[in-house]
Amino acid sequence: MSLLKKTIKETSHLNWILLVFLLFFYLTGFIFVGRLMPAGETVIVEVNGKTVYKLALSEDRIVDVKGPIGVTKVEVKDGRVRVLYSPCPEKICMKQGWIRRGVIICVPNRVVVSIKGGKVRGVDAITG
Amino acid sequence: MNHMKSVRSWIFSLFLLSVLVSCRWGGDKVYRESDFLLDTVVTVSVVSGSAGRAGQAIEKVFRELKRLGGLLNFYSSKSEIREINENAGVKPVRVSGDTLRVIQRAIEAAEETNGAFDITVGVITHLYDFRKKIHPSADAVRAGLALVDYRDIEVDPGRMTVFLRKKGMMIDPGGITKGYAADRAVSILKKEGIRAALVAVAGDIRGYGLKPDGKPWRVGIRNPRGAGDDIFAAVELRDQAISTSGDYERFFIEGGVRYHHLIDPKTGYPARGVISTTVIAPLAVKTDSLATAVFISGVARGMKIIEGLGYNAIMIDSGGVRHLTEGIRDRVEFIKKDN
Repeated sequence: MSLLKKTIKETSHLNWILLVFLLFFYLTGFIFVGRLMPAGETVIVEVNGKTVYKLALSEDRIVDVKGPIGVTKVEVKDGRVRVLYSPCPEKICMKQGWIRRGVIICVPNRVVVSIKGGKVRGVDAITG
Repeated sequence: MNHMKSVRSWIFSLFLLSVLVSCRWGGDKVYRESDFLLDTVVTVSVVSGSAGRAGQAIEKVFRELKRLGGLLNFYSSKSEIREINENAGVKPVRVSGDTLRVIQRAIEAAEETNGAFDITVGVITHLYDFRKKIHPSADAVRAGLALVDYRDIEVDPGRMTVFLRKKGMMIDPGGITKGYAADRAVSILKKEGIRAALVAVAGDIRGYGLKPDGKPWRVGIRNPRGAGDDIFAAVELRDQAISTSGDYERFFIEGGVRYHHLIDPKTGYPARGVISTTVIAPLAVKTDSLATAVFISGVARGMKIIEGLGYNAIMIDSGGVRHLTEGIRDRVEFIKKDN
């Protein structure tokens, strides 16, 4: 008889109950972790690689973000985010408009606005 | 005997529990960090069992890319590229191994694409100001064209020098530097013992290894006429690189004409007929330069170049029609627009 079979045969009822109990705890852990974590997505605003804001995408608000060339205004509204105003010369970040996923980058003012926790259609990066 | 049984079953229970727990909590994770380097955003994602080791490896990559940026920046007054340009028609300039290699790779790309990729076109691209909506006059373009020819770049690997034969010539390696940097980043990460990583130097991306869930890295391709985060397709990267060139990156529209940054070295004007080109190949230094070259070559010649080299490409022509090489057809997933 293999050791596994022998062990299973010799495991007492009490120990089987203990095992089921532990399994139950383990599995409910999954459910509770899911419940306790914030359900919505988060807007992360970074300047020079440092996170300056973590905002809920579900909460409408406008924040001022100080970068090396001035203040960038970031607006969260209706589950979307955009750069409302930027002091940069080309305003590429403003022209990008509202996003629901992905990232807005302002190179001159070193500001990165990204949405985390959402399904970015399962991609790890975007080319183009 | 009973006591033995009890001990054994306890050990068995604990063993089972530890297996379950380790499946849930242990093992590798993806650590991701971004930094502003090479005039763009560089994002490095590494798979590691330790945050410390991941952080250390990423830090080394960032330091190296910063150094490369210092050597290769066309606009910096202290770069080796600037020194080469300032000495055009005057004398050869001694350069670092990296600058030499980037220029050699650029010449190689020019030869492979019959001059569609040509870093000497810098003399014309720098006449454009996409922010102020300025494009050069026909006379200026004509004068510039006389100085555009990659065969006038002299590289001496023995002496480690680069010389531009004609006075006024200018090289801008911007179309190949990011790919070269992504490759450098990958070799550093491999040396640091990182089993899997994805390096994105803006849209020039190289990945290797598998994610902790056992799946390959997935890269989205930007919709050329959509918002910045809108993708039209996704491709799985298995020890490969991917780059995209599009007419939407730097451009302005004047009198209904789109002036973009992908200048045809033969005409001196923005290339027409294609709006987006994605190239997939083993090295990012290749995908970066070829994405530009193939965009400029147009669909027919572009696809032929890529197939001849054994790589893959996805092109969108100005009519919005997609063109794919044979090898990529079953590996690309097209995504429907959802908003």
